[in-house]
Amino acid sequence: MIFSKEKITLAYTIEKCSKCKKSHKRDFANGDILFSNSSQCTFCDGVTIIEQIFGEILQK
Amino acid sequence: MLNFTNFDLEQVFSMNDETNPLMMLIWIVPIIIFVFYGQQIQLLVTSGEIKKAIKKLDVFRSDSKKELINYVKKNLDPVNDPTKKIEQFLDYFTIMPVDMDPNGIVEKVRHTVRSREDYTRNQIKSLFSDISDLELNRVQTLLEIASSLQMIHKIVNHMYLTAKKQKNYPLILPLQMILPFLMEHARAMISAIPAFKNGQPVGDGIGPMVVGKMMLHAEKEIISFQTVLAKIDYEKRKLFLLKAEGPSSTVGRPDDALQSIITQNKIDAIIMIDAALKMEGEDSASVAHGFGAAIGGIGTERYQIEFIANQNKIPIFSIVIKQSVTEAITLMTKEIADQADNVRSQVYEMILENSLEGQSIVIIGVGNTSGIQQ
Repeated sequence: MIFSKEKITLAYTIEKCSKCKKSHKRDFANGDILFSNSSQCTFCDGVTIIEQIFGEILQK
Repeated sequence: MLNFTNFDLEQVFSMNDETNPLMMLIWIVPIIIFVFYGQQIQLLVTSGEIKKAIKKLDVFRSDSKKELINYVKKNLDPVNDPTKKIEQFLDYFTIMPVDMDPNGIVEKVRHTVRSREDYTRNQIKSLFSDISDLELNRVQTLLEIASSLQMIHKIVNHMYLTAKKQKNYPLILPLQMILPFLMEHARAMISAIPAFKNGQPVGDGIGPMVVGKMMLHAEKEIISFQTVLAKIDYEKRKLFLLKAEGPSSTVGRPDDALQSIITQNKIDAIIMIDAALKMEGEDSASVAHGFGAAIGGIGTERYQIEFIANQNKIPIFSIVIKQSVTEAITLMTKEIADQADNVRSQVYEMILENSLEGQSIVIIGVGNTSGIQQ
């Protein structure tokens, strides 16, 4: 269509630290699985768990 | 020479009693054309629209096939070139059991569908020397998508060509009516491919997402094919949590799992959490409570769950999260993901409202568990 905007879905991952409960949003990376241990928390020495994986639509 | 400046328009289009032959022709010729060729004209106009849709369906069909073949070649290690075999799978058909005598039809349908699933799984396995269950389920899902798109294209094309061949306008009407719905489904399926390829959760996974978190720190066991069970205690009640085995792209077999639980335990209530198609005008990701088995599919699983519940006089409560067809099979939206904690607290409330201390409740998270662990 001439006037319709192109839509792109961007995937994001939200990690939550099980110790300090702080959340962090980042781009989805291959191998991300919901509720799996993700990385070291940047705020404390806890381990983050993937809390959400979702898509947001971007219109060009 | 003709003098065009002397042309009397009023005389040409005059509507007085004196009959004008040119005027008569202008009125009568189109009427005659529409009486004898009206259907063909309508067919021509409608067929243009349908032709465009068929072209799109053809692109969807070939794109989904290409995506599948490329995925297999790039990410897995096939023994031989899998193209020919994959093309063969795409043309596989299923003949549903005859329903003239409906007695035992559900068992027959279940047997046919499961035989097809098992066969496809074995055939995919035979393409590779070594393939994990995660990849096997992923390829099987991509194959289902490609095969469904091929089937939609084939049927629409057949209906269109038949109407055109017979020059029969009424034949094209049903196609014209269902085409927008078919296109919506086809578009949803083609958009679903990236999510399944990357192992991401889809909208339909909200049920497994809710139950998956509930069973996170509990001991888990495989209770039926690709289905996980965890037992936890909550407010002096025993909870049997069921979901498909993640993070594979599978819906598991919750009906078999429920049967297995019932044979060994006395169950007082069943709570099912599933995604449901929203009606036009309804908000996406809205939550609704209801009564009865919330499970989609061909109907055999719902039948089995209802049968077990009826036989044991167990009430079934359900919580559904509304979404569109596209949302259900594509990467989970933020709105749906945000509802998970809310739904989980509603499940706990429902447990307290509908059971007493010491009772046992089965909680089933229904849906595809792609990208969702437990």
